[in-house]
Amino acid sequence: MVGKILALGIVVLCLAVFPFVVENRFYVSLINQMLIYGLLAMSLDVLLGYTGLLSFMHNAYLGTGAYMVGLFLLHVAPSSLWITLLVGVMGTIILALPVGWVQVRTGGLAFALLTLAFGMMFFTVAWKWYTVTGGDDGLMGVPHPDISLFGWVLGSTGDPVAIYLLTLVVVLLCFLLTWRIVNSPFGAILEAIRENEDRASFVGINVRRFKLMGWLLACGLAGVSGGLFILWRGYIGPTTMSAFAGAGVLMMVLLGGMGSLWGPFVGAGIFILMQDYISTMTEHWELFVGMVVILLVLFMPRGFAGIGDRLARLGRERQ
Amino acid sequence: MTIILETERLYRRFGGVLATNDVNIRFGEKRLKSIIGPNGAGKTTLVNVITGRLPASSGRILFRDKDITNRPAHSLIRLGICRTFQITSVFLGLTAFENIRISRQSRKGGSLRIFSSRDSLMQVSEDAWKILEDLELVDQASTLARNLAHGDQRLLEVGMALAGEPELLFLDEPTAGMSPAETEHIAQMIKKLSEEISVVLIEHDMDVVMSISDEITVLHQGRIIAEGPPAAIRGDEKVKEAYLGHE
Amino acid sequence: MSTAVDILFNSLVLGGVFLIVAIGLNIIYGLSRVMNLAHGSLYALGAYASVTLMSFGANFFVALIIAPFMVAFIGLVLERTIIAPVRKRSIVYTLILTYGLMFLLDGLIRYVWGNEPKFVKLPLFLQDTLPILGTHYPVYRLATLVIIAATMAGLMLFLGKTRTGITLRAASTIPEMVACLGINMKLVHIGAFVLGCGMAGIAGVVAGPLYSVDPTMGHEMLISSFVVIVIGGLGSLRGAVFAALLIGLVQTLAEFFITDLAMVIVYMLMAVILAFMPRGLLGEGRFE
Repeated sequence: MVGKILALGIVVLCLAVFPFVVENRFYVSLINQMLIYGLLAMSLDVLLGYTGLLSFMHNAYLGTGAYMVGLFLLHVAPSSLWITLLVGVMGTIILALPVGWVQVRTGGLAFALLTLAFGMMFFTVAWKWYTVTGGDDGLMGVPHPDISLFGWVLGSTGDPVAIYLLTLVVVLLCFLLTWRIVNSPFGAILEAIRENEDRASFVGINVRRFKLMGWLLACGLAGVSGGLFILWRGYIGPTTMSAFAGAGVLMMVLLGGMGSLWGPFVGAGIFILMQDYISTMTEHWELFVGMVVILLVLFMPRGFAGIGDRLARLGRERQ
Repeated sequence: MTIILETERLYRRFGGVLATNDVNIRFGEKRLKSIIGPNGAGKTTLVNVITGRLPASSGRILFRDKDITNRPAHSLIRLGICRTFQITSVFLGLTAFENIRISRQSRKGGSLRIFSSRDSLMQVSEDAWKILEDLELVDQASTLARNLAHGDQRLLEVGMALAGEPELLFLDEPTAGMSPAETEHIAQMIKKLSEEISVVLIEHDMDVVMSISDEITVLHQGRIIAEGPPAAIRGDEKVKEAYLGHE
Repeated sequence: MSTAVDILFNSLVLGGVFLIVAIGLNIIYGLSRVMNLAHGSLYALGAYASVTLMSFGANFFVALIIAPFMVAFIGLVLERTIIAPVRKRSIVYTLILTYGLMFLLDGLIRYVWGNEPKFVKLPLFLQDTLPILGTHYPVYRLATLVIIAATMAGLMLFLGKTRTGITLRAASTIPEMVACLGINMKLVHIGAFVLGCGMAGIAGVVAGPLYSVDPTMGHEMLISSFVVIVIGGLGSLRGAVFAALLIGLVQTLAEFFITDLAMVIVYMLMAVILAFMPRGLLGEGRFE
């Protein structure tokens, strides 16, 4: 336990110092992106790794968060940061509630297909509702509010370093919060549901209700990632909400390892690096993603976290 | 004898088949009742309907005079109606201890605690340890359920049902796949249990049934054809016919 | 009036294509418990295979025979290499796997054939129109109906009258019993997947000349075929026929009245049915 806290501390420290050590803003932005998608992937892991529910288009909730924050900044309050983020998260949870209510009546295959159906619905709305969402073009020219705390202005979200640090803090808080929740008695219930939904009912668990709660948690976190996304990029378009992008998030969780909260961050990091290198080299990124997903499922279903586990176990056995 | 649960004209239809046919059965306090009958008699279906796994086609189920027909399964645990399954159903990816602990937590409460650790539910953990001790599974506490021996898995499942603090415990073929020694052990355990709670056994092992039951109900093609203490059932002509007729 | 007849026939044709694809999906799921999310891509491969065959000089009918076997063969390879190892694991992994396979195959199609739509040249006699019920209806589309009907008849005969077929049907309802009888479940799984892919291939070849052959055809067909099996109920033949015709009608009408909302409505219908009527509209399916 102490080891884990130490490791986390070191990682956070390195990340915090990073933008002051590395001068190239491109890399700062890249890590920023990794943190955002790491958060999204972690939220999918809460759903998939902890509750056992597969979602093909969890990115839809990053999208709703981003669009709502964007629209709020564009049309309502271009300079308020915290309220806007709150709006984005609450709005996402409110949208996710009826969807979740319908979805938790099912599990397994039907649940996954439903996430596809609803995800495609959201995507179609984002794509076609031109007047509100900007359609194909998306939301552009989103203002960059200042980061201010108790009257002190700490920076502008337009500044890559400032938004990076904001993202780091918010993601860290979300990570700690989620860690606490999945290791709580509530988290134990989610695990039981993942292991054996049927049995869970028969030990007295109201499976639907708890699935819904897990769902709202996962979507809320995704909404946070959406808010951070649009603050970072200043833009959101329907492509981010597509089925292919959804597969990407799934791949991040798979790569990093389901059921470990830090794994998805590793997965997001690797995925984004790959995407950066490979999609510039070739337009056959789709083919590559497909191949990697298949190889992962066949040979590394527990992702890097699984390898980490195996190494740890080997280490212990050697003693 | 106080009646804990009874069914009134219970029916369960599957397409054209009446798996449960006008069943009126009563379960009393601190008794061991066995439900027997040839394959396909509808024993498991009856238990499935009573425990909320399947909806009744018609009829009523009364728990201490309260109508509980078609209530969802998870709410019945609260009332004290728990069960095990024919095919062992436990949380394979969790340790033996956690299997019992989560079952206990679900019954006792604390599931909405999102900001504290699991260990903070101290009473729950203590109760779980006690159950493990009673089942002599303490050595396997940190073993994953999927790595337990078959007999231990079945014991674990009983433990999970007991964690629900049942007043009425249904055990569906608990001795299936067990060695004679294990069977004897679990039969004794079940007998002891019935001194404190009402136990209902679905069983094929006639030795066990005859030796530990207080009363036996015989089902055949969905309806009750005989009820009574083991001695009476042993000699019952209708029962013999039902079994022999299926060979 | 002629428009109504056109719409009617177009619905039948589209519905027929959906039916073949949906039945292929059903066969694979019913017999090997694998929800093949790559099914749309295999359908697309059928179309592209026929395009390539015809570019080498084969005529349409030759392509119609050969291409499905090619897709079936690909199915065989896929089943043995990547599907079989994952089937025993939880359904989550098989879903993710076939989802990845979908992207792999779609990416492969783009890689091999490029992004531009391809056109299928039909033999002259199929390019004509026939006067029917007050309208001039394309002969090819009528031929499609015949091909689809023939495929369904062939499938019914195979499943109903041949020993292999009957074994496969038994395997879908009581897999444990079939295994007990000494029938090799491995062969059943392979057979199901190959048969399902073959069906997708046939549908692809048939659909080629009807709609455009482009890299997105797989995605679109996948979504539609899911809607069909959800509405018709997984595992129900009557349901599949009913749902396929229904969705064929809905999509044809939507195209005719040019509405963007059509797809959203279709998705919503699928969601509602999946959540509240998991056995499909006719109540004969079995979604778990």
